[in-house]
Amino acid sequence: MINKNNYETYFMSYIDNELNAAERAAVEAFVLTDSKYAEELALFDKTKLHAPNIEMEDKIFLYRFPEMEASLDIDFKKSLYKKEAPVGKIIFTPNLMRASFAIAAMLILFIGLQLFKSESNIVESNIVKSTLKDKTALAITNNSSINSKQTENTILPNEVNEAAINKNSTAVLSRLAISKKINNAKFTIAESATTNQAGFEDQAIVNNNMNTNIINTTEGLSQTSRENENNNKLTAKFNQTQISSTALETMANEEEKIILPTNYKEIDTEEEDRTINIGMIEIDGAAFRGITRKFSALLKRNKIDKEK
Amino acid sequence: MTDLEFNICVDDYSDGVYRFILKISKNKEDARDIVQTAFEKLWVNREKVETLKAKSYLFTVAYHLMIDQLRKESKIIMTDSFDENANAITQGSSELKQLLLEAINNLNPTQKSLILLKDYEGYSYQEIGEIMQLSESQVKVYLHRARLILKNKLTHVEKMSA
Repeated sequence: MINKNNYETYFMSYIDNELNAAERAAVEAFVLTDSKYAEELALFDKTKLHAPNIEMEDKIFLYRFPEMEASLDIDFKKSLYKKEAPVGKIIFTPNLMRASFAIAAMLILFIGLQLFKSESNIVESNIVKSTLKDKTALAITNNSSINSKQTENTILPNEVNEAAINKNSTAVLSRLAISKKINNAKFTIAESATTNQAGFEDQAIVNNNMNTNIINTTEGLSQTSRENENNNKLTAKFNQTQISSTALETMANEEEKIILPTNYKEIDTEEEDRTINIGMIEIDGAAFRGITRKFSALLKRNKIDKEK
Repeated sequence: MTDLEFNICVDDYSDGVYRFILKISKNKEDARDIVQTAFEKLWVNREKVETLKAKSYLFTVAYHLMIDQLRKESKIIMTDSFDENANAITQGSSELKQLLLEAINNLNPTQKSLILLKDYEGYSYQEIGEIMQLSESQVKVYLHRARLILKNKLTHVEKMSA
């Protein structure tokens, strides 16, 4: 109950609006009892502050707009990152590496195939040459009418050509080996000419001996005249063989000048023992395949390491 | 609390929190930073804070931020810089009101906060106790002490003028 001892507390609670309706009515009744209390209540009321009209500046920054705060996915952001490539340097990305290796492999295969085709053409032309040489050799034997040693010597190029034909069947001859064998064939032709000359010299000696025996047995024939005749005959034969050897060489040269048709040979790609020629290097097919497999395995391993 | 409700809270309570802090700290920049931090905390905890309790939450956070700020800056003893805002708090232009403002400035921060929360914001003793982490009876006692100080000041001035 409000009285002169506790009225201040009631007055303060009254201005703080902390009293219920009954208490408020009691306070108002108490104030009416004495003007002194009314003045005191007025003073307490003056201690009450009234909210000033103060507004906060930059209040706009306090508002929240979720759509403005929306952030991009981290992975998407990472995809937007850019790194300036250094000028003058080629960055070998995995795709670029693969493409370059593929191009290199195709180039190597193309060059190898071209070389393989050219080798087959050489072998084919060699076959044609050998047949022509056979014909010339036969012509020489028919025209020269020299002894059996000469005939044996003219067969030598044919043997070489047969060997070349046999090698052609295997289709593995290298260009260098073929050219060496062609030179050997020419050398044997020249050698045959020299052996022919030596044969004629030997025969001349035999003939001389024979002639000497005839001179001795016939006892009367003039020795000098017969020797001269024999010598003339041998000289004529020797000259004839010389002419035949030079004719052989000239024909061989003419053969080389003949333009031959290109013949292509079918290659069995499934053959296990096939070899590949890269320039002057001859590589076994299985070994080459093994190298390419190892190389591709190495690339795959590098890619997996990068991904990790 | 949705983002729309949060923005309504900004509309309704930001000025109140700001002037409450400004009256005590007397520094506009500090008051703005405290208000901003209080609303930032409300946004972060918007899932936990009910809309009806948002005002109390804001004042509680702002009050404690202000006390921390005052302790850091050793500004517990209030100065007379509050006078610069005197014109904004005009309740007339009488000398009595000016004296009242000076008397308020001489109160300690707790008493000042109690007066401001009660008169400016109209909080009950219970609500003030929640904000300032005081009991209801403590709020009543401290607030009444502050009122008596102010009333005695006004009585003294009136007697002097009479």
